[in-house]
Amino acid sequence: MAAEMALVKPISKFTNLSPKFSNPKGFCYSKFSTIRMSATTQPSTNKPSKKKAAKTTAIKETLLTPRFYTTDFDEMEMLFNTEINKNLNQDEFVALLQEFKTDYNQTHFVRNKEFKEAADKMQGPLRQIFVEFLERSCTAEFSGFLLYKELGRRLKKTNPVVAEIFSLMSRDEARHAGFLNKGLSDFNLALDLGFLTKARKYTFFKPKFIFYATYLSEKIGYWRYITIYRHLKANPEFQCYPIFEFFENWCQDENRHGDFFSALMKAQPQFLNDWKAKLWARFFCLSVYVTMYLNDCQRTAFYEGIGLNTKEFDMHVIIETNRTTARIFPAVLDVENPEFKRKLDRMVEINEKLIAVGESEDIPLVKNLKRIPIIAALVSELLAAYLMPPIESGSVDFAESEPQLVY
Amino acid sequence: MSAAASSLGPGCLTASAKATTHFHNSHNAKAVSLPVSANRNSNHTFFSFNSKVLAFPPPLSISTKSSSSVKTAVAAVDSDQISSSDPSDNNKQQEAKRYYFVVANAKFMLDEEEHFKELLFERLRLYGERNKEQDFWLVIEPKFLDNFPNITKRLKRPAVALVSTNGPWITFMKLRLDRVLSESYAAESIEEALASNPTNIEFEKPEKWVAPYPKYEYGWWEAFLPPGSKEEAKV
Repeated sequence: MAAEMALVKPISKFTNLSPKFSNPKGFCYSKFSTIRMSATTQPSTNKPSKKKAAKTTAIKETLLTPRFYTTDFDEMEMLFNTEINKNLNQDEFVALLQEFKTDYNQTHFVRNKEFKEAADKMQGPLRQIFVEFLERSCTAEFSGFLLYKELGRRLKKTNPVVAEIFSLMSRDEARHAGFLNKGLSDFNLALDLGFLTKARKYTFFKPKFIFYATYLSEKIGYWRYITIYRHLKANPEFQCYPIFEFFENWCQDENRHGDFFSALMKAQPQFLNDWKAKLWARFFCLSVYVTMYLNDCQRTAFYEGIGLNTKEFDMHVIIETNRTTARIFPAVLDVENPEFKRKLDRMVEINEKLIAVGESEDIPLVKNLKRIPIIAALVSELLAAYLMPPIESGSVDFAESEPQLVY
Repeated sequence: MSAAASSLGPGCLTASAKATTHFHNSHNAKAVSLPVSANRNSNHTFFSFNSKVLAFPPPLSISTKSSSSVKTAVAAVDSDQISSSDPSDNNKQQEAKRYYFVVANAKFMLDEEEHFKELLFERLRLYGERNKEQDFWLVIEPKFLDNFPNITKRLKRPAVALVSTNGPWITFMKLRLDRVLSESYAAESIEEALASNPTNIEFEKPEKWVAPYPKYEYGWWEAFLPPGSKEEAKV
């Protein structure tokens, strides 16, 4: 529990978003890191007819999985109203719409009997960790489904092209979530997504923050999946569950979703072109990278179970995501500076201390008192990382006039 | 069994089915598949494909309005023919076709941007699955660049272009790759459109390769070179 409190409390200081952290493992970095949500879509759901015991376990576990978010849909409608905002680069959206309609993965997600066999072979702690991985990923995909579905519905009148893209992205997310949920059935579990939709708390983010955060989650999701896929392709002896074989095509969806948010941000240059945008861009990069790093460092068994070194894996993902992000965000962090990794590693140590306090026998008051200096140390590391000299960046579409730019 | 599958399934199916029907049309500009309502509430912003980069033909539904643009109309008809399953390209070589491209230096296109390789193979796989004739190629040191001095003066050599008759797809690739220049041109035949100068492509090994997997193999792009140019490019 301490982990996410430690991580997010300092963040909430900056954002005034006052997220509620009753939910310790509330952030899923596996895919959809911080943000994704919607409040109103409530798809009718057939209750899985699992044994009660199994179902209860699933729900309990999922309460520990990613949060659901909602946004200001009226503001979204304003932003994409082609009457009001005549600068919308409609040809990029039309091109994206064609890409999403093409539906590259229409027939990709077909299971085979190897899934169940692999799941049955998996025992002990690895099995537990796999179930957690599937649940977190499924919830994350599902939360994306809800948010995109709702945006698709709400933007239909003001911008049918953007709305349809959102709907097609929700198609992808639903497919991914369904596939992961079927994976859970290999472990005799199922997530009750209808229940989740109603029962979970929704956190509010303004559209601007939804853009930054979903862009990053989609791109970081791509880099995580493709890295795992290519690693397992080169080292098939660690291929312990067939879902990873689907990652190569799967993560192309994530990457395209990210491209769409890139186009959305280009259509709203006010979110990219001033000093505030630069500060927010760095802030979101930092919160997403740090959260992933701290999270994964608590789950090294999973990464080691598939033959990866957790920290090396994370640094690779962070560096590549940062390079990708530099093509749209006006500023990014200097993550390739060795000092950045040193700071992350110190945060992991501090985080471990926080966890130790949480697990100690002390009474709550004493625990909280003990936490104060540790949290202060973490805040100071975060602040120091945030204040490291950034790298100016952005799309070349905004820098076309620069003659020194060579392709 | 899973809640997601049962509750979301029908929706997905509808979406997928819809997407299939669109696909066969959607690679030409005519069928960018605008929802009807889009046409209704669109103003000039909607159809102004005014990007300096691409001037792809407007949707057919308004082609009467733009009939003054002969070139555009021709291009629209041509791409329509490509999308039909008629493989006899030879008959059409008299007509000028529009080709769209993004271009950058070879190192960027073939060595650094590994997701680019994934996108091309994904598209090739899809075309195979749907029996669609390939309409995109990689051209190493393309001859058509001679007609674009504004591009060549900003371009490191050797250069590699991704060329396609599908304009919107090239717009998408520009969005994805970002660090590329984009333009379009007309050509009488596919050979003329994709002609290249023989060039030897070599990349230095990356100084430090820290990814937990090997790089994609040198030469992956050969699958995308225009027919007939493969030997040439290997030189």
